[in-house]
Amino acid sequence: MRNNNKLMTFILALMTAFAFSSVLRAQTAEQSGTTTSRATAPTVDLSGVWEANMPGLKWATYSFTPDIPSMTPWGKQRYLAVKPSYGPRSFADSTDYVNPTTGKDVGCLPPGVPRIYIQPFALEMIQTPGRVLQYFEFDHHVRQIFTDGRQHPKDPELTWMGDSIGWYEGDTFVVDTVGLNEKTWIDRGGLPHSDQLHVIEHIRRPNHDALEITITIDDPKAYTQTWSGYRNYKLEPTWNIKEFICADNGDYNKEFIEESGAYSPATPPKQKTKPAKPSK
Amino acid sequence: MKNRRVSLIILTGVLLLVSVPVLAHHGTAAFDMNTLTTVKGTVTKFEFMNPHALIYVDVAGNKGEIEHWIAEESSNNHLSRSGWDKNTLKPGDQITLAGHRARNGAHVLEMQCSECSVTDSQGKVWPYQ
Repeated sequence: MRNNNKLMTFILALMTAFAFSSVLRAQTAEQSGTTTSRATAPTVDLSGVWEANMPGLKWATYSFTPDIPSMTPWGKQRYLAVKPSYGPRSFADSTDYVNPTTGKDVGCLPPGVPRIYIQPFALEMIQTPGRVLQYFEFDHHVRQIFTDGRQHPKDPELTWMGDSIGWYEGDTFVVDTVGLNEKTWIDRGGLPHSDQLHVIEHIRRPNHDALEITITIDDPKAYTQTWSGYRNYKLEPTWNIKEFICADNGDYNKEFIEESGAYSPATPPKQKTKPAKPSK
Repeated sequence: MKNRRVSLIILTGVLLLVSVPVLAHHGTAAFDMNTLTTVKGTVTKFEFMNPHALIYVDVAGNKGEIEHWIAEESSNNHLSRSGWDKNTLKPGDQITLAGHRARNGAHVLEMQCSECSVTDSQGKVWPYQ
C-alpha cells in the first residue's frame, strides 16, 4: 500500500512537471507570438547536399521566374539604375555587387536572400533542434532559420540574410523572412527590392532525390503585386560542400576580368609577342 | 608548316536554340554566344581555381605569329566533381578548345556552355560541367 502511494505520488509529480513545462512552453510561445498551429519539430527530412536542377531553362541562370514582375515607379527606377551581367538587362561592364566585371573591385558582397539560391553552387540543408541551417557552397554563407517558435523582432536590424523563422505544415517547410537590407537584388538579373521585402518560401521534398523551393516576393514598395518563382534541386548524396573563398578571387579577376582583354573593348587582343616555334 | 598553321574553325549557326544555360560566375554579355570558335594549340598554363579555372593556350597564327588565348572554364569545384583535377591539363599538352569568343575580338574563350568542350592531348573530350 505504501508502495502504491509512492507510485501514485511519483506519477502525480511527473504529470505536474509535464503540465508545468507545457505552461512554460505556452508562455514562452505567447511571449514570442507563436501560433500553436505551426509545427516546430521537423515533419519532413530535408537534409542533404542539393544541386540546382533547372535543365534547359535559360531564365533560371539569373532569376526565379521567366517573367519580369510588374514594378512600382520606385521599383522600376531602381531596376533601371543597376547594371547586372545576367538577364534581360545584361551588361559586359556590369557593376554587380557580387560579380562585377568592371574596375578592380573583387566584389564578393553577400548575394542575400533570396538571390543566394541563384549562385550556381551547392546547398546543404542541416536540420537541428530549433534551427534549420542552410550552408551554401558559394562563399560558405550560412543562413539560420529559427524553428523554435519565436517571431520576428518588431523592428529588426536590416541584414544581408534577414531574419528568418520557419515552421512545418505537413510535408512543407515554410520559411518567413524579413529584415533584409536594400543592398541586394532579388536575383542576378537585378530585380529590385526595398527594406519592406518579405520573402515566403515553401520547401518540399516531392521525392527522395528532389527538393522544390517556391519563393514568394511580397514588397509593396517595389512591386505592384505579390509574385512567386521557384527553384528545383536534386540530391547529390556523394557530395560534400567544397571550399569556395570569394575573397581569394583576386588572381582570377586580375588575369581574366582585367587583363584578358575580353572586358576592355578598346584593348587589342594579347598576341604576336614572338614567332611561333615549330611543332614537335 | 602545316602544323604551324592556325587551327581556327568558326561555326556559325543557331546555337542559341540548342544552348543549355551557362552557370557562370558572371554573365556572357562580353562573348558571342551565337558562334562557336574552335582553337587548337599548346597549353602554357592551367590554373585549377575558383571561381573559374583558366586555360592558357598558345596558338600559331596564319603568318607565323603566336596568339595567346585564355579560356574560362567552370569553377574547380564543379570540374572536380566530374573528374577534372589540377593535372588534367599540363604545359606542353596539345589541346583543342571549343568555346565562345569575346565579342571585341580578344583571344578569349568562354567555355561554359553545353556545346563547349576541351579535347585533351589523348583525344579525350571533356564536355562542359
